[in-house]
Amino acid sequence: MSETRGTQPGHWLALESPGSGDSSGCRIESVGVKLPSGTLTTRNLMDRTSHRTGIQLERLTGIHERHVVGPGETSLTLAVGAARDCLAHSQHQPADIEMLISTSITRSKGTSWQSFEPPLSLYLKQAIGATRAVNFDISNACAGMLTGVFVLQDFITRGEIGCGMVVSGEYISHLSRNAAKQIRSLYSKQLASLTLGDAGAAVIVERAPGGGPGIDVIGFTTLAEHSRLCLAFPSTVGPGAQMYTKSRTLQKAAIADMAPLVAEVIGEAGIDLADIDYLIPHQTSARAIHQATQEFARRLGARPKHVVVNLEEYGNTSSTTLFVALHKYLEERRIRKGDRVMLLAIASGIEIGIALFTVDDQVERYGHAH
Amino acid sequence: MGTRIDAASALALAGPGHRKPTARRLADAAARTCLERSGREAGDIDMLINAGVYREDNIGEPALAALIQQDIGANLGQRPVGGHGTFSFDLMNGTCGVLSAIRVEAGFLRSGVIRLGAIVTSDVDPELAGPGTAPFRPVGGAMLLDWDDSLAGFTDFGAETFPEYEDLFASGLIWREHHGPRAPGRAAGRNQMVIDEKPGYQARLVDCAVEATHRFLRRLEMGMDEVDLLVPAPSSPGFVDALRLRLGVPGDRVAYVTEDLEGAYTTGPIAALQAATKSGRLGEARNTLMLAAGAGVTVVLALYRQTPP
Repeated sequence: MSETRGTQPGHWLALESPGSGDSSGCRIESVGVKLPSGTLTTRNLMDRTSHRTGIQLERLTGIHERHVVGPGETSLTLAVGAARDCLAHSQHQPADIEMLISTSITRSKGTSWQSFEPPLSLYLKQAIGATRAVNFDISNACAGMLTGVFVLQDFITRGEIGCGMVVSGEYISHLSRNAAKQIRSLYSKQLASLTLGDAGAAVIVERAPGGGPGIDVIGFTTLAEHSRLCLAFPSTVGPGAQMYTKSRTLQKAAIADMAPLVAEVIGEAGIDLADIDYLIPHQTSARAIHQATQEFARRLGARPKHVVVNLEEYGNTSSTTLFVALHKYLEERRIRKGDRVMLLAIASGIEIGIALFTVDDQVERYGHAH
Repeated sequence: MGTRIDAASALALAGPGHRKPTARRLADAAARTCLERSGREAGDIDMLINAGVYREDNIGEPALAALIQQDIGANLGQRPVGGHGTFSFDLMNGTCGVLSAIRVEAGFLRSGVIRLGAIVTSDVDPELAGPGTAPFRPVGGAMLLDWDDSLAGFTDFGAETFPEYEDLFASGLIWREHHGPRAPGRAAGRNQMVIDEKPGYQARLVDCAVEATHRFLRRLEMGMDEVDLLVPAPSSPGFVDALRLRLGVPGDRVAYVTEDLEGAYTTGPIAALQAATKSGRLGEARNTLMLAAGAGVTVVLALYRQTPP
């Protein structure tokens, strides 16, 4: 196995891709998405609450509607659909996938709303025919998919594998359904549950051919002093889970700590925040994203050219948000070859992950539906 | 140059005073013992992976690893920039989770991204539906991995799945509605764990483990007689003896877990390693083969060489 460059800039566990001309850099080769068949507007959701809450959720969060599962759809079916869509946009065959990581928080399959064993990744690789892939599951809240990409990047950069896939299927709207039965006011710790929507997403990561562009820097850290600000457990009011979040404290802590971490990463990459064409943050609420962007501008003295917000149509699709947004912008041909994109994962833990990459010719395989 | 096992610890008690063994307390206690054995500080840990599966509260998020990181005090309360950080997450692969986590951390050690990796595990009764108890004992474990320039360390990994047997063992949470009149504020039902093991599972585990081991050693052009120590995860009662007999390994070249840790689940490989360390056999072995088999059927193997690189 080849020795490669690893760095520990400050608080981060970070991997830098080898410089141009080295063939062992990594790139995101393909992204796939599976949206469930149903939709639920915020107005309809709030009409279903057991108590008169007076919460103006759409105004607070910017979420107009979200996709929700229909009969027969589960975390596994969404994950399989996303993996197939990812392969349809890829130059790879299922047999090329050497490692498959499932990163769903929710793992519903059949009659079980949360499957524990065997791992979901086993069913996934069978369903898509990636039979030679080494598989395991990672659980890291809403940062799961980017954590999977981080792990794959290490395996690929060292030359242990050439190609891997990260998949997540989130049927998570049961948290909204359960919260709607109990929530009474704006100050409820279950408020964040009302923002959730269902989706599946998948991404193929491969060795960048011929020193071409790809992932420049990817890094993670866990600010565990805040690990108890958001907790989810099985529910007692209905099938599925309930989540309790100290939203304001979490948002405040995340924003305060994120700005210097972002500065560190762009410093490592030798660029300025203004050089980022698209910043895709975890989608929680439009207001929180706006505040974070303001804070970045205040502390770093610059803004990315575009900040992606797709909450209006999807809500917060938990571990899949970054790749649902990336897929949408690729399909709409807004992101172009050569654009520099920053993915910013924020999750309970508090987990903070950042990936900075330059878009390659994969954009040419998107947008034909439009 | 390779990944070295720095320390391993497995235990069935959650700390002083025999507190109720929750998944977190068991993992916390094992991690603290492991750090003490190695003479390291919690803040030295760069990556913390939790590979345990069954918890008393079936918490879904955050990753249990983040809660354990906070409990043991690994890099808390510092401003993010300029300090030393820890990255924590959960990896789930049933009884094979520890070996999968070793593979991940050995990679990050090789690439120089981390200098010290920790793996923690624990399983407790996850509130089973119906009568009976969980088919494992509440046990927690922890191990530390670092980089050693004078050692080959973990050199090779193998993983195989046998999906034709995927239905032989399955577990998951199922909603059970309460029936009868319901008082205001009373729970409507409960989400309870169902663990379904079908007849023949134990025998297939041994079959698959033997088949995968032969293929793994063939790939490495090694014979079983070159394996000085076999460290099998005791996936079930009788698994280790059946496996060693089929592989033709004498009993004195097998690491058995101690009696107080029999029935360990995801902690199995760590419990076996602890026994081998205490008996001195791990220190003497040049080639150690670690093996775990579990639901899927999944078999994961790792070769650990205490020879020069």
